[in-house]
Amino acid sequence: MNIGNFSARRVSRRSVVAAVAATALALTGCSSGGDDDKPAEKPTGTVTVKVWAWYPEFKAVVDQFNATHTDVKIEWTNAGTGQDQYTKLQTALKAGKGAPDVVMLELQEIPTFALTKHLVDLGKYGANDVKGDYAGWAWSQVSSGEQVYAIPVDAGPMAMMYRDDIFKKYNLTVPTTWDEYKAQAEKLKAASGGKSFMTDFGANDGGFMTGLFWQAGAKPYTYDIANPSSIGVNVNSAEAKKVFEYWEGMVNNGLADTTAFHTTDFYNGLGSEKYATYLAAGWGPGYIQANAGGAAGKWKVAPLPQWTAGANAQGDWGGSSFAVTDQAKYPDIAAKVAIEIFGAKNTEAWKIGIDKAFLFPTVTPVLESDAFTGKTYDFFGGQKVNEVFVPAYSAIGELDWSPFNSYNFNQLTTNLGQAIEKKTSWTASLDAAQENIKTYATQQGFKVQ
Amino acid sequence: MTEVQTSPAAAPAAAGPSEKTGRRSHRREAAAGWLFVLPFAVLLVAFLLLPMAYAFKISLYRSTLIEGEVFAFFDNYKQAIDDPLVREGVVRVLIFGLIQTPVMIGVALLAALLIDAATSRFSRFFRLAAFVPYAVPVVIGTLMWGFLYSDSLGPFSGLGIDFVSSDTVLASLGNITTWQWAGYNMIVLYAALQGLPRETYESAKIDGAGEVQIALRIKTPMISSALVLATLFTIMGTLQFFTEPLILQPLNPGAITQHYTPNVYAYNQAFSFQQYNYSAAISFLLGAVVFIGSYIFLFATRKRSALQ
Repeated sequence: MNIGNFSARRVSRRSVVAAVAATALALTGCSSGGDDDKPAEKPTGTVTVKVWAWYPEFKAVVDQFNATHTDVKIEWTNAGTGQDQYTKLQTALKAGKGAPDVVMLELQEIPTFALTKHLVDLGKYGANDVKGDYAGWAWSQVSSGEQVYAIPVDAGPMAMMYRDDIFKKYNLTVPTTWDEYKAQAEKLKAASGGKSFMTDFGANDGGFMTGLFWQAGAKPYTYDIANPSSIGVNVNSAEAKKVFEYWEGMVNNGLADTTAFHTTDFYNGLGSEKYATYLAAGWGPGYIQANAGGAAGKWKVAPLPQWTAGANAQGDWGGSSFAVTDQAKYPDIAAKVAIEIFGAKNTEAWKIGIDKAFLFPTVTPVLESDAFTGKTYDFFGGQKVNEVFVPAYSAIGELDWSPFNSYNFNQLTTNLGQAIEKKTSWTASLDAAQENIKTYATQQGFKVQ
Repeated sequence: MTEVQTSPAAAPAAAGPSEKTGRRSHRREAAAGWLFVLPFAVLLVAFLLLPMAYAFKISLYRSTLIEGEVFAFFDNYKQAIDDPLVREGVVRVLIFGLIQTPVMIGVALLAALLIDAATSRFSRFFRLAAFVPYAVPVVIGTLMWGFLYSDSLGPFSGLGIDFVSSDTVLASLGNITTWQWAGYNMIVLYAALQGLPRETYESAKIDGAGEVQIALRIKTPMISSALVLATLFTIMGTLQFFTEPLILQPLNPGAITQHYTPNVYAYNQAFSFQQYNYSAAISFLLGAVVFIGSYIFLFATRKRSALQ
């Protein structure tokens, strides 16, 4: 159950009030009706930049930014987590008012919002100058050629978190391949009398599934925002089916649980001895620590098991960026904020981001600093976990997202969720998703390949 | 019916000295009436009729990600009628309504009859206690039940029942709805019971009727119009089932799908997939179903309800 919804809803009412106030201002003032191509008026005094984001500990980052800037002031709103925020953002963008200047977007959502043409091209405001600060795959997620739609902030390279105490208790060895992982899962099931599962495979997170597909080398979509009306759909590729076949076997043999992610039962399972591993993203520990602190100190991190022994294939789950909307009055200043909040030079912000919020940085100078790679974590019994996450991050390949990611994730999760409920084939659920997505894309006017 | 009641009073007025003054005062009355109705009328137009007209307008257009907005006439409606997911949702809420309505009204009627018959201090406490769930916001109540249904936290976790599997979740949702609304319906029925003349019961008692017979043969038929009203509200509520499934969805999205009820489907079409036009069409179709469903019910019960 997402308790965060409460505060999101409360904020939403506040933002409605803000929107109404903004409308009133717009009515009394004269509307310019200009495009963002028109040279921005020179602001006088401190410019307030509205930012929507849901990073943990973000208030401290905002305070730090405001304390070190006199010309710009960030006004931060937590408009909800993930889809909650996107829903509000879509509505505000469509309405033409009420959207923030700078907005947090997960990497997989960028084509969706770029297609609406409501994102400002940050390439015009110096974003390409910082391109060198980011890994190639991360920059490719936010840009198309010289056009830059967002500035990457954090990423979610995947790794296997495991409970050292459970592994020791049942004499399990840390698996390096998926075959070994399954063997250990069987051992765990027998030794614990079915009390512990090897892991939980939540069917309600399309990002998680896609991360695993990514590792297996699947390319669900071929899409370039520079050529917006053409898309390749290959959701049910052989690689994706390989992943689903494997996990269908794990679930049907009682080795993996299927409790939905981000629910109370899921977090309780992590805090108790129900799950021995958690296939986590780089940001995962931050959320677990807050929700399932019970097992603090007992977790360790190992690389994600591989399909081929000795390989180094990796996938990403989540990660986010800052984009600037076309409702920003001063797009140049908003772009500066987007670039600087979690920029390479802003080590103070990253100290908060890393130490308190467990963000996994995408800026290489921060990522490769000793302060990050050499950092020990109490939650992981003093392990330097970034020695696992950083190489994983560097090995991630490129992947295109569709410009209708809500529908994409919905198809993945709905079809798999129903397959699990009705005990039907997981790979058939991918075929169903593929058919529905192709139909949807055609209806939407795309040329589907 | 109304004519029959007013005509004796109206007759002397018409035969009165000046027909003109009568008509003028009638006109003045009408103006005053409009004035009284005005605030409501303004709100009705501004917040119901205009938004509905706007929604109807956008339901006639089709907007795609690539081609933009084009006039599509009734294409969205055609698509919605052919959409198996819409049909699945409609069938689900109809089944839900068929089971939920009698259960809800039965529980409410039983509770109302019980507290009407008993006059102890306990009955006053019970009346309040049964009403409290209605005072809890739906979102909070549903979240609370989400925790109660939890496999690891809830009081029923030892039973080994999965309350949110695809087989059980409709019943679990029905339980939440009953918990939330039965008290409200009980108060409606109880108020009607309080308005009944007590002498009737006395005569019944003298004729040898027991408490149970009085409850079933006297009280229940006499509050039939309140029963019809409560049932009507329940039918409308179940057809528009929305908040509870939406809130519980994260617990098991495989069982509570994004098209679980027509309202949830319309919501997701608009706010997850930006299909505002299609969403508007689904909403209007659902409105038509609710209207027809309510009308059928009123027509079927017209003899009992006195609502003609």
